[in-house]
Amino acid sequence: MQLKQPRWLRALLLAAAGTAAALAAAAEPKHDLYVCANVSGQAQVMGSRVASPSGLYRSVDRQTFVPMGFAHIRLFTLTHDVREPSTLFLATLDGVVRARNHGANWRIMTGWDMTEPKSIAFDPNAPDRIYAGLPDGIAVSTDRGQTWRRQNEGIARRYTQTITVDRTRAGRVLAGTEKGIFLTEDGAKTWRLVQPTDKTTYDLRQSPHDPKEFFAVTSSDGAFRSRDGGATWQPVPSVPKERTLHNFDYDRREAKRLVYGGWGTGVQLSEDGGATWTDRTAGLPNREIWRVALDPDIPGRLYAAPYQQPLFVSDDLGATWRPLHFEKAIVFDLVFVPRS
Amino acid sequence: MNPATFFPMRFSRFLTGVVFGALAAAASAQPAFTGPMPARGPVNDASLRRNQYLERRAEVLAWRSAQAKPGEPATLGLAEAAAKLARREDAAAVSERVIELMKKPTGDMFWMFPVACISYLGRDQLTPAAKAAIREAWRTYMPLRGDTENHWVMYYTSLYLMAQLWPDEPGERWFNGKSSAEISAEAQAWLLDWMKLTTTIGQGEYDCTHYIGEYAISMLYLATWAQDPAMRQRGRMMLDYVMADYAVDTLDGIYIGAHARTDDRQVLEKWNGLSSFFGWLLFGNCPPPAAYGGWGLYFAAAADHYDLPEVVYRIGTDRSGPYTQFERKRTRHRWRNSDVRNAPVYKQSYVTADYALGSDQGGLLQPIQQHSWDVTWAVPDPRGVHNTMFSVQPHYGADELMTYFTEMPDYMPASVTFQGKPTYTAPTKLLGGSPYEQIFQRDDALVSLTKVPPGTTFEHVNGFFSKDLAKLEEDASGWIFAQGGRAYLAYRPLAPYTWQPIEGGGKRLYSESRRNGTILQVASASEFKTWDDFKAAIRALPLTLATDPVPRVSFTTLRGRKLELAYGAAPKVDGRTIDHAKEWKLFAGPYLNAEVGSGTLTITHGRLKRVLDFNSVTATDTVNP
Repeated sequence: MQLKQPRWLRALLLAAAGTAAALAAAAEPKHDLYVCANVSGQAQVMGSRVASPSGLYRSVDRQTFVPMGFAHIRLFTLTHDVREPSTLFLATLDGVVRARNHGANWRIMTGWDMTEPKSIAFDPNAPDRIYAGLPDGIAVSTDRGQTWRRQNEGIARRYTQTITVDRTRAGRVLAGTEKGIFLTEDGAKTWRLVQPTDKTTYDLRQSPHDPKEFFAVTSSDGAFRSRDGGATWQPVPSVPKERTLHNFDYDRREAKRLVYGGWGTGVQLSEDGGATWTDRTAGLPNREIWRVALDPDIPGRLYAAPYQQPLFVSDDLGATWRPLHFEKAIVFDLVFVPRS
Repeated sequence: MNPATFFPMRFSRFLTGVVFGALAAAASAQPAFTGPMPARGPVNDASLRRNQYLERRAEVLAWRSAQAKPGEPATLGLAEAAAKLARREDAAAVSERVIELMKKPTGDMFWMFPVACISYLGRDQLTPAAKAAIREAWRTYMPLRGDTENHWVMYYTSLYLMAQLWPDEPGERWFNGKSSAEISAEAQAWLLDWMKLTTTIGQGEYDCTHYIGEYAISMLYLATWAQDPAMRQRGRMMLDYVMADYAVDTLDGIYIGAHARTDDRQVLEKWNGLSSFFGWLLFGNCPPPAAYGGWGLYFAAAADHYDLPEVVYRIGTDRSGPYTQFERKRTRHRWRNSDVRNAPVYKQSYVTADYALGSDQGGLLQPIQQHSWDVTWAVPDPRGVHNTMFSVQPHYGADELMTYFTEMPDYMPASVTFQGKPTYTAPTKLLGGSPYEQIFQRDDALVSLTKVPPGTTFEHVNGFFSKDLAKLEEDASGWIFAQGGRAYLAYRPLAPYTWQPIEGGGKRLYSESRRNGTILQVASASEFKTWDDFKAAIRALPLTLATDPVPRVSFTTLRGRKLELAYGAAPKVDGRTIDHAKEWKLFAGPYLNAEVGSGTLTITHGRLKRVLDFNSVTATDTVNP
């Protein structure tokens, strides 16, 4: 007698098979994949009596995803301690959480006066220094998260969604805020507006190929690019402004390969450095893309997280897709952490 | 709050579950909920008043305890456990059940304070194994901190008390990795900051028909169980503060006027919510809601440690003469779309024995569940009665939600409707604020003006006309006359309208003009010999109105005041321009008075006076000769 499998389970099994094949073809991954996922469904409210398997998931093989630490429905993103990659720092509803042992052991590092950080970044050239983007400003720790203080001088509207530290120089940081992109060159003592926007800047990345290049995506102003280390910015005319763009990624292997996703935009891939974009949404269940990411270890591998759907993966840069994990999820972030 | 779940809305949905869960379990009658109306007259004898209060408390505990059925462990939940411990009964069974309940905690901050309650009530009743199970749960389960003040007050009060219960423990023993000392210091710092904000620039989630419970319960627990005398005193004083703020805005126990947050049910059936539990328990002048509002049990569990000051009791029960109470509050924290973190809210309530009219200044002051104005009339029995009239400019959008929440914008509006706020995106909605509405009230007259930009999702105004109106007449003058209870109501739309039926009864006035408004004048039936006299008096009031280029009204009220209002301009009363920022104190009126920034509240009624001074952490009572 043949057992009838649910469609999603069949798809996941297929995904596992595909992943195994892709990994077999690739070298041993140099990174672990961490996923910040809310899998609790659209109707769940804070204070729910339904136990939630949401939270941090770790995958070392890109096939199996192991929950790490506490269940949590609002885990937004993470970074790793540059001197100790097995220690993660999580931006959560409850504040900044230090999660040792690959995310297993948690401690909330911030106090009552810092809520809902949306982004967090170490300074690779000053590795005791961490920056966190808060709904009401920017918090800085100079002792690896033990203590924090706000450093917002120069920023009037302080909602901060994304923080990127320039890897070329200590204390040089870019922040995506409600009203634009701000730059500090003195470790957050002072900030100056380098690109105004009407609404929030949701993602801001430094090119892995050219440290002078940064790319930002926004809620209402499309995308911007800087080629001088974030000092000046130019709009990217090929990216429309009508939709909220959630995030952006560079391919660490192909300098001209870029991808972005957003609400209603689907997955957009460029092979020419952003001059033109190809819609890679066909095969995904909707165009509301919460997160996209290019795998640093597996050539041609692209991830996309449609709203309230499984996390999808493609091994041909979005020409075809298959579900990888979760039944329904909001994936707040996909983060590759150097394997330790 | 929250899709996931961002939101704050969580609570009412959660509460609904609690209430209906309780109702489902309630095979036995709930005495005061199903019984006759209580006598409403004030009880002057202090000992009798106290005894009646304690009897009501005992009723809550007895009913809740009885929901646990022998041989049906699932019927003994946290609430039943708290009730039994408060009654000092069945400790062994409660202990066994607590051990099971601690294996799979859920509910975040709504789990924390029930467990704190059980832990303190059970200090000398629970078995060591049950206490150990509770202790372990606070290490292995991570309740969310939440994203709004009612979440935080529950979270930090609970943490404060539990760190006190288990002092000197290292971070490894707590879910958040912090030591007992760190937790205690952090929780106290948040609580002191909230108290300071509230007593200097006003409460954020002000006058909430449901969330009042979260603040009241938390403060009661501090007042009851905090070991630090100053913290205990602060808890007691803040509880007095919250209850005085509630008392002055009630009519027979019903929370009236503007609310930071209410819900689709209570905005119409004004009595039907947790706030009325406090009216019943503390003032004895209304029935309690079903299941005592759900959370009422957790107040009752420690309510023997609270003695409502007589001055507050008098304010809650004396409706011998009309009064106006002015109040300044603050918005919830604004994260985006605002240059200020907490904008001021200017409230007022005009309260008589027959009706009460209350309002804020309009605008988006809170997300989703704001209620900006209404008139509520007194009824012999409020159960099932829609004793209110108001209008709203229905509005929703990502911008509103982004202002008050830190979430991504586009998914939020639809998600809200899955999270216990089904009407949020509906054109028929009767709940919520609008950025395009400006309101001004003086005495028992109110003008609401709306100017909606073209292309806005909803450009119309909804007026609520209850199924329980005794009279409803459309007059050739343009006024709509109505009677609710002993209140006469005159409602004047500024633009043409049609009528739409409302599911559940009543009619919705639908007026689709973008430049629009509502004028409301209320009076007591006792002021007029006949209904026709009232109508004639209203028709005779000087009134000019226009909608072009902006809505504009000049209206002389029944009380003889000339109101001049134009959308976008400061209101004028008798030729004097009203400057809200300069004129509005934290509290001003015959009963509650406080200056902005003062940290004090003076509560007076007749000869009684109580001064709450949060600077010196003292409460001083005086009786004037």
